[in-house]
Amino acid sequence: MRLQFMLSEIFGGVRRNKSMVISVILVSMVSLFFLGSGLLAQRQVDTAKGYWYDKIQVSIFLCTKQSDTPSCATGAVTDGQREQLRSELTDLEPLVKKVYHETSAQAYDRFKEQFRNSPIVDSVPKDSINESFRVQLSDPTKYDVVASSFQGAPGVESVEDQRGLLDKFFAFLNMLSLSAVALAAVMVVCSILLIVTTIRQTAFSRRRETKIMRLVGASAFVIHLPFIIETMLATVLGAALSVGLLWTMVHYGISGFLTDNLSGASGGLLSFIGVADVWAIAPWLFGGAVVLAAMTSWLTLRRYLRV
Amino acid sequence: MILFDNVTKKYSVKDAPALDGVSVEIERGEFVFVVGTSGSGKSTMMQLIIREQLATSGQVLVAGRELSRLPTRKVPALRREIGTVFQDFRLLLGKNVYQNVAFALQVLGKPRHAIKQLVPETLELVGLDGKEKRLPHELSGGEQQRVAIARAVVNKPSILLADEPTGNLDPETSADIVHVLERINRTGTTLVMATHDTSIVDNFRRRVVELHNGRLVRDQARGVYAQAAD
Repeated sequence: MRLQFMLSEIFGGVRRNKSMVISVILVSMVSLFFLGSGLLAQRQVDTAKGYWYDKIQVSIFLCTKQSDTPSCATGAVTDGQREQLRSELTDLEPLVKKVYHETSAQAYDRFKEQFRNSPIVDSVPKDSINESFRVQLSDPTKYDVVASSFQGAPGVESVEDQRGLLDKFFAFLNMLSLSAVALAAVMVVCSILLIVTTIRQTAFSRRRETKIMRLVGASAFVIHLPFIIETMLATVLGAALSVGLLWTMVHYGISGFLTDNLSGASGGLLSFIGVADVWAIAPWLFGGAVVLAAMTSWLTLRRYLRV
Repeated sequence: MILFDNVTKKYSVKDAPALDGVSVEIERGEFVFVVGTSGSGKSTMMQLIIREQLATSGQVLVAGRELSRLPTRKVPALRREIGTVFQDFRLLLGKNVYQNVAFALQVLGKPRHAIKQLVPETLELVGLDGKEKRLPHELSGGEQQRVAIARAVVNKPSILLADEPTGNLDPETSADIVHVLERINRTGTTLVMATHDTSIVDNFRRRVVELHNGRLVRDQARGVYAQAAD
């Protein structure tokens, strides 16, 4: 089929079915917007994880005089135990990226600074604050390796992973991402049903043409092609609009508001996704739109447009 | 060109067969009238030839192809060798005469220069030259049927099937249409026309194949419509 002829057939089909084509565009836009939001939420989780995991550390608290855990039976950590622990940490390179040693005095100063407005400061004796090794890991998920090596070692009171504190926050973001994907799934079902209805209606309004095409011996491909292209154009346009919406949301809502207010050079709470992430997921949305249109129209045409 | 060998077609198990053990052979270049009352099996025969339907038993051979063994993907190629014309013309109302005829070539991907040559030639053959720009509603019934015939033969098929092509036309126009079909037949196209138009069959004296309740009851060279007239 010549391109010009095919284009005129497609244009004719769109003109006849304007309202249905517009609804396919809008439903694809909404479903792909939800899908895109889900993907972006997932990327937000990854971005935030990366940001926090760079900052958080595993803390190995050393024994004080007051410690009552079995590993602290000998009292406060000795110099020998401390050096032993330090060399063991060095042995764990490259998993261990950096080790800071915080003395009891430094820890007490930090404690005083944090609770400067609280009367609790006066009731806590200086030597009850643990000195510690703050360990930064190259892969924070391998916390277990450090914990199992040092938990219960002589001179170690406890090993704590700050990552645990953030897990709830990430779980919340993950849930948000899953909800968006679940909504997207429902909307995708809506789009499939709508596309099926639209194609059936288009096939009905064009039944005379298709009958003639069949009679003169046009192949199934030629008969189906205008329907498939028409559906594909509508869903791809929907995808383009959803990418536009996501871009607007990220550009003005996240980059333009949250990032300025909640993060930045001053060392904020979080790092946020940017428009680059929208461009990164855009090909998936367009790909999804094309696959959705092609699969749905192919199956519908096989069922409703016999050749 | 067309061979029915003991062909039976049943649309459902309960009903009587639409065609019942029909055997008939139509040679290349023949002009055959298929006659019979409504429900006698004429249209079923046409639908079997273009493989709109498959025979329940027996063999249908068209242009060297055994249709029950023809894979679906090869059906379009078969239909390119068969032109079809119907009682209700089936024209595209939004397209003019030229575009209606060109449509048959465009969907087959024929190059533009071929279309520009073939369409006017065919319109001249059916006597519609000069009316290229008319829309279907601006034409008489006879002229609309000529457009349908032009569309059916523009790709030069070897067989032309006409299913009651004069059913909607007055006697004079009907005769004109059959003259057009004769002209096409003279170019070597095998012509099968299903009809219950008595005067057409009687006046043109061609081979007559008569069906009654799905059975072949008569196959007569230079026949007339009613057997009693023999």
